Amino acid sequence: MTPAASSGGGSKQQDPIVADETAVVNGNGDQGKAPAATPKDGPKNNQKGKKTSEGAPKGDAGPNSGKPSGKELKERAKAEKQAKRAKEREGKQGQPVADFKGGNIAPEPESKIGKSPGKDQPPSKSHQRRRSSAGAHAQKPLPLRPAAAAASVPKVQETLEEDNRVPLLEHLYGHPRRTTIAGASKDVHPSVLALGLQIGAYEICGSNARCVAMLLVFQQVISSYTTPVATSLPRHLTTHLSSQIDYLISYRPLSVSQGNAIRWLKVAISAVDISTPEEQAKSDLCIGIDNFIREKISVADQVIAASGAERIKDGDVIMTYAKSSIVEKTLAEAFYQGKRFKVVVIDSHPLYEGRNLARALVDLGVEVQYSLINGLAHVVGPVTKTFLGAHAMMSNGRLYSRLGTAMVAMMAKDVNSPVMVCCESVKVTDRVALDSFVHNEIAPEDELLPPRMPENGQNVDSDSKSLSLYNWRKTPNLQLLNLMYDLTPAEMIDVVITEAGSMPPNAIAMVQSLTANT
Amino acid sequence: MPTPPPETQPNAQDPDFEQASPSIVTYYNKLLDLDHEITKPVAAIESLTALLSASPPSTVSETLALIESSTSTLKASVPNPIALSAGTDLFQRYIVTALQSGSSDPRGRSKRGPGSSPDDFGAIRAHLLANSKLVIQRAKEARGSIARIAKRFVQDGSTVLTCGASRVVSAVLNAAADDGVLFQVIYVQSSNPTKREQGFGRDLVLGLRGKEIPVAVTSFDAVATAMAKASFCMVGAESVVENGGITSSLGTRQIGLLAKSLRKPFYVAVESHKFVRVYPLGPEDLGLETGVLDFKVREGEDDRDTSSEREQLDEQEAQPVESSRLDLTPPELITGLVTEKGVQTPSAVSEELIKIWY
Repeated sequence: MTPAASSGGGSKQQDPIVADETAVVNGNGDQGKAPAATPKDGPKNNQKGKKTSEGAPKGDAGPNSGKPSGKELKERAKAEKQAKRAKEREGKQGQPVADFKGGNIAPEPESKIGKSPGKDQPPSKSHQRRRSSAGAHAQKPLPLRPAAAAASVPKVQETLEEDNRVPLLEHLYGHPRRTTIAGASKDVHPSVLALGLQIGAYEICGSNARCVAMLLVFQQVISSYTTPVATSLPRHLTTHLSSQIDYLISYRPLSVSQGNAIRWLKVAISAVDISTPEEQAKSDLCIGIDNFIREKISVADQVIAASGAERIKDGDVIMTYAKSSIVEKTLAEAFYQGKRFKVVVIDSHPLYEGRNLARALVDLGVEVQYSLINGLAHVVGPVTKTFLGAHAMMSNGRLYSRLGTAMVAMMAKDVNSPVMVCCESVKVTDRVALDSFVHNEIAPEDELLPPRMPENGQNVDSDSKSLSLYNWRKTPNLQLLNLMYDLTPAEMIDVVITEAGSMPPNAIAMVQSLTANT
Repeated sequence: MPTPPPETQPNAQDPDFEQASPSIVTYYNKLLDLDHEITKPVAAIESLTALLSASPPSTVSETLALIESSTSTLKASVPNPIALSAGTDLFQRYIVTALQSGSSDPRGRSKRGPGSSPDDFGAIRAHLLANSKLVIQRAKEARGSIARIAKRFVQDGSTVLTCGASRVVSAVLNAAADDGVLFQVIYVQSSNPTKREQGFGRDLVLGLRGKEIPVAVTSFDAVATAMAKASFCMVGAESVVENGGITSSLGTRQIGLLAKSLRKPFYVAVESHKFVRVYPLGPEDLGLETGVLDFKVREGEDDRDTSSEREQLDEQEAQPVESSRLDLTPPELITGLVTEKGVQTPSAVSEELIKIWY
């Protein structure tokens, strides 16, 4: 991390420090404005992209009024900046949720000003970003994959620049994802801190994995929990868990399976008899969690894998998309049964989850063809069956799964291959979805960018680079969108294999009602 | 369910059941032969009920094991057990739930613990048998209910296209004719029908013509042309699989495809006891494609057709393999299933089945 003099590299408030008149004045205007703007202007601007025009004149007032006393202003700004930076260094990046909201809002006025007066800003900003990335790397507590690492870098500044959000999906942009444990509440259990990082870095990825990992961590949370005086376990433990959950949400929104598991756990906690000794109650809950994992995931997976494997015949060419633990188990089960088949693994940028599946299958001895989704039309020809994993099944029979699944299902139908979805009942939600816009998750856009080469990183602020996609935030009229899920229509799904049996997608709501009361 | 007074073991003297398993097959076949109105699932249920009433009272687990083993014997004895398994599955499921509700812990009872007396089990068994009879009776009555519901689809001036040898469809058309509806029927006959199909088709055609309903008989070759004249299609089914598809006599699927492409409604009149808990993704999952195709090359070196070869060819075409007499019509081709419970969409089948099984 460069010292304060290094013009705010990595600082959250990214005041332009370059000794450029416009920039400084802008910074000034920002400082004068930001604190005041946060409460009142903020929400408005944040929600409506069109407010931009309205905000700009206000911002311009800063430079105009500031110019007469430029020097004095500059000095004041510098002092303020340093104080701010020092403060930020402590609570930077992973600030409590409340701060994220602020972070979301504060940048807006600045970005608007930056847009109108000076075109000379972009280079200096990208310069800052490089520095900040270096700093973030030095601090990184976990080894991250390139995509995740690249993504986390500019996150610090994410909201600072021009509003590059897709207007249609305005409602999906929450606060930026947390990337470090800094600023976490003291109530958050250390294992939850670790889990948050793993989930945020996609080290633990996938609906099932996240659900199981969360439940196991909650076991630790419960066993190290002591009921505070003047309250009781059934009443207090749920709120204690809620703060853990809120912390996890700040990394990524909960998956449907996590949501269902939490709902179950909270009911289980509130059902604890108030007279039960604390130790007893805690161990009962931990056993309950073990049983839940066994029943709803481990055994369910075995049942699904067995019935899925029955559908695989010798000579089949099976297509799958990205990576689903349950699809992997199904294919492995069929292979262990001595069936000989080929697998076409379709994968996509930016997560490349399919690589792991392809690797695992190759290790087993299965013949695998790996292709990115761009090559789908080319490889789909010989496919005889398609297995898909699920993030969730909507109660109207639609499959909510990794972005690209709908395309794979459509192409599978195009070659008349039956599309089978493997889905545990814990992933079934009572929600109804008609499109993938109302509910979705937006991942950091920078994950879409190719990983930056270290040698390029040094002169990334050269003119040619400044025009590249890395500067998309400052490029007018350019929006990057990194949605995580899409919705596959029920008509494209032939069968949903659950632990309660195989059924057409439309009947999935039955599973929900069956398992809801168990 | 109201329980009529249990009539104890009516078939106890039936000699067929002295050796249990092997004879259930003969009993089943005898039922089908004797009663042309009985469906395969009902015959299966009836055979199992008769078996149960003939076998000496035993424990719950013995009873279940007996049913299990005779079911598999029965299934093994027929070329395509899908229709039959609808009945046996339903019976097995019914027995299990009846035993569970009759005795809170059937496993405990099967060990003949202190709490369970043989009389206790006997009562459960008698109740079970009585109820089974009721189930059979209701299943037989279903056809009448379907006819009452489905005849409303047949309206004045409509033309119904049907095929195969469905007794339900026959009942529907006759009910409509009896009501004085003025309609026409296109009956599509297989080019090489089995004896039963032939007889059935003749009865249907002559019966309707006797009621002054114009009936046209055509073959599958002409069905695409004939379809244009039809107002809707109504067929029967051997069984209804879980995704709402049906297995029915060979050629039904073609009619479904043609009906879809010409936007004609395609109704299936079927009793709900034919719902079966299998989920095929294609005919190969039910073994329906076996015997449809038999690739061959000429064996002789001679280029000229020998008369024996020609005869062989004619013979083969005339005698399709028994197991290939069925095909699978996928749910997307079906407009509605008319059951005794009302008109259902294909996707409702799975819900019905889940209700039975859980």
